[in-house]
Amino acid sequence: MAERSEILIIGGGITGVALAHELARRGEDVVLLEKRFIGSGSTFRCGTGIRQQFNDEANVRLMKRSVELWKRYSEEYGFSFQQTGYLFLLYDEEEVEEFRRNIAIQNRFGVPTRLITPEEAKEIVPLLDISEVIAASWNPTDGKADPFHSTAAFALHAKEMGARLYERTEVKDIIVENGEIKGVKTSRGLFKTGIVVNATNAWAKLINAMAGIRTKIPIEPYKHQAVITQPIKPGSINPMVISFRYGHAYLTQTAHGGVVGGVGYEEGPTYDLSPSYEFLKEVSYYFTKIIPALGDLLILRTWAGYYAKTPDSNAAIGRINEVDEFYIAAGFSGHGFMMAPAVAEMMADLITKGRTSLPAWWFDPYRFERGELRTTAIQMG
Amino acid sequence: MRPLDLTEKDPSKKITIYFEGKAYEAYEGEKIAVALLANGVYWLTTSTEGRKRGAFYFGPLPMVINGVKNTDGRKTPAKEGMRIERQNYGEFQEDVRIDEEKPLLRYVVDVAVIGAGPAGLGAVLEMQEHLTVALIEERSWLGGDFWLKGIRQEGFDGEPQEVISGMRAKFNQNVRLLLKTSALGVFDEGEYFLIPAVRGNQLIEILAKRVVLATGAVDNILLFENNDMPGVFRRAFALEVMNLWGVAPGRKVAVVGSRPEEMTVELERWGIDYVVVPNPKRAEGKESVERLIDMNGNTYEVDAVIVADGRRPDINPITQAGGRLRFRRGYYMPVLDAYHRIREGIYAAGSAVSIKPHYANYIEGRLAGARILKEFSFDAEPCIYEEKLREYEPEAVPLHRIESGSMNLEDVQICGCDVSLKKVHDAVESGISDLQIIKRLTHLAMGFCQGRFCLFNGALLVSQKTGVDMARIDLPVARPPIKNVRMKAVARRD
Repeated sequence: MAERSEILIIGGGITGVALAHELARRGEDVVLLEKRFIGSGSTFRCGTGIRQQFNDEANVRLMKRSVELWKRYSEEYGFSFQQTGYLFLLYDEEEVEEFRRNIAIQNRFGVPTRLITPEEAKEIVPLLDISEVIAASWNPTDGKADPFHSTAAFALHAKEMGARLYERTEVKDIIVENGEIKGVKTSRGLFKTGIVVNATNAWAKLINAMAGIRTKIPIEPYKHQAVITQPIKPGSINPMVISFRYGHAYLTQTAHGGVVGGVGYEEGPTYDLSPSYEFLKEVSYYFTKIIPALGDLLILRTWAGYYAKTPDSNAAIGRINEVDEFYIAAGFSGHGFMMAPAVAEMMADLITKGRTSLPAWWFDPYRFERGELRTTAIQMG
Repeated sequence: MRPLDLTEKDPSKKITIYFEGKAYEAYEGEKIAVALLANGVYWLTTSTEGRKRGAFYFGPLPMVINGVKNTDGRKTPAKEGMRIERQNYGEFQEDVRIDEEKPLLRYVVDVAVIGAGPAGLGAVLEMQEHLTVALIEERSWLGGDFWLKGIRQEGFDGEPQEVISGMRAKFNQNVRLLLKTSALGVFDEGEYFLIPAVRGNQLIEILAKRVVLATGAVDNILLFENNDMPGVFRRAFALEVMNLWGVAPGRKVAVVGSRPEEMTVELERWGIDYVVVPNPKRAEGKESVERLIDMNGNTYEVDAVIVADGRRPDINPITQAGGRLRFRRGYYMPVLDAYHRIREGIYAAGSAVSIKPHYANYIEGRLAGARILKEFSFDAEPCIYEEKLREYEPEAVPLHRIESGSMNLEDVQICGCDVSLKKVHDAVESGISDLQIIKRLTHLAMGFCQGRFCLFNGALLVSQKTGVDMARIDLPVARPPIKNVRMKAVARRD
């Protein structure tokens, strides 16, 4: 007999898993389907960063809530979330001006970002080369989390609260009759449901197509690569360090000790995820400009994940009216991991109550069709 | 002679080195790890979690050499007056010079052969008359594992080192030999393949129309308590110190693993006292091995343990280059097409493909070479080699039962990067049966060796605990660089 659930989430990345967790917490009957294994799409490939330093009200508010939830769940479930800050290195007046504007927005919503001097930046990360830095934007309440243990913890607790998570279960089709969802055909047979959430990020357009959605929701997969070095002494690089000047690079040290990060270098749209030699060189070039001592470290590996990008680098989150009870939370443009706890709360509000106090309007999936693009979100780390 | 010297060394090369402030006799050009071993010094570095480590089992060997941290003690040759200290894995050199102006070396050839063991040499000798070849070898010698053997091997006419010298003497102008050079991966570059490589910190880019992966096999890691202790040797390192450097692994050694005979013939040749222990449970000692205890409670007073458990193909270069794997005869091996390729343009040969005698690897290299010659429209007879190769049925490698019930799992290291068998075992016991998840939760296969030495035992444990067939386990794919490379060596934009 086909399995039945009130709500069915497609996609076992952090967004889907955190949503399954939140819905189960609220006592909802939920099934999650993942075609490979939990986290395998982009979550386990992410750069680990969690920041509130955005350039618009909605993202700042969403991320402020997300940080609260990261803190709460990391304490409750015992995974690593460290509020070690985000440090944007600034090299010219124009950059400083832009960050002054962003800081004003952040401060207005209670995010304590401030401009600091290069010397103060060096106190935070003594290994930095600050010879060209003129200021830095610093928020000590931003941070980073372990993508593996956090996602696994959300999955484990979701299951404990009754959510049913199926891995190695690929969605083949979505059955819609008279505008109503009836179920989902998978490699493991039929799953009956009345509500579907598309949380597949890089694959969102495929799932939309299966549901027969015609609304223009442009989400395209871009190959984005990352690098990790040998583990070094804990505390060597605490915050996420960002430099637009040097390749749009972002780097930090993981809880395990390795230096992880990437640069702006990306290719796409593509579903290819093979790491490139060009990236290996470029990331090393820029990282050693920011922190020369990294030159001594052994590179262990590079890998690629997807930035599922929209034209304004903001996700598409909400209900699609063409099909009754079809929701989307995808197109995170590199911010899916950091936003997941708040997005889960927002989506659960929308599904169970039809409204939310979080700024869902900003992520309205219909804005593309209406030509109302948002300010491009800072797409970085 | 030093305590563990097996042969007399050239007195004109005698030097003094200092380890932890104490003077030791060494010989110029000897690797530091070998020079210290000859003096009976086993403990050379310390893992992140504070475990004492030697040079010859697993994990990297970062040491402070003349004040420079994070220097590889396995690769650095001894020099007069050198000052050497132990360090912790996590330490590194903070003042680094990054030389962006250093020229990049670029070579364009018909074929790149990665690995200069018998298979790689076979391929080169087959092709060199008609094609230009770059032969990339990470070690300082040709012949790979075969070169390390002190006794004649079936099929070859002479001692291993003679045979290899004979082959090298035959190289013609078409062969560009790159020793001590590590290939970082194989990348597609239009009609070429790009093989970036490093020699020291010199970056080299090799563009080739065809590639032969003769990348060999890796020693199997045996799981017992304190298997990472200084004084424990992998078979290849034991062969290397005896047959290349004339230094004994210990005064009295225990040989463990399913292939003791491969080691005992060599130990007998050198007159080293040994005992074969079929079921090791625990190595013990203060700074290095002092005794080995077996599963029956017998204690053997030894100062070294050699793990002689055979080898399995190194699958990392295969999966990085886009090859697929299958599980047969107790190991993962590449899936080859009718032309002996893992995919178009990339051939595989030797123990990278299957475990068999050195001579069969040589023939397989010849076969790959002959196939490539035909692709370039030269006369060649791959069928002859193919037929010959059929005479050698690849060996089966036994799968050990991981005795997790009878060991203190915290002391058993499944991986040199401080991943104890306990960590992996607990993850499996908690109900996680997916190696992909276990890897990320425990850091198995995510450290220095990128799974070369540890992934197989992880798969084996999952298989034995959950009943999932080895062939059905979703094995992580190796990511470039396939060998660790210092960031400063590749930090450039050109």
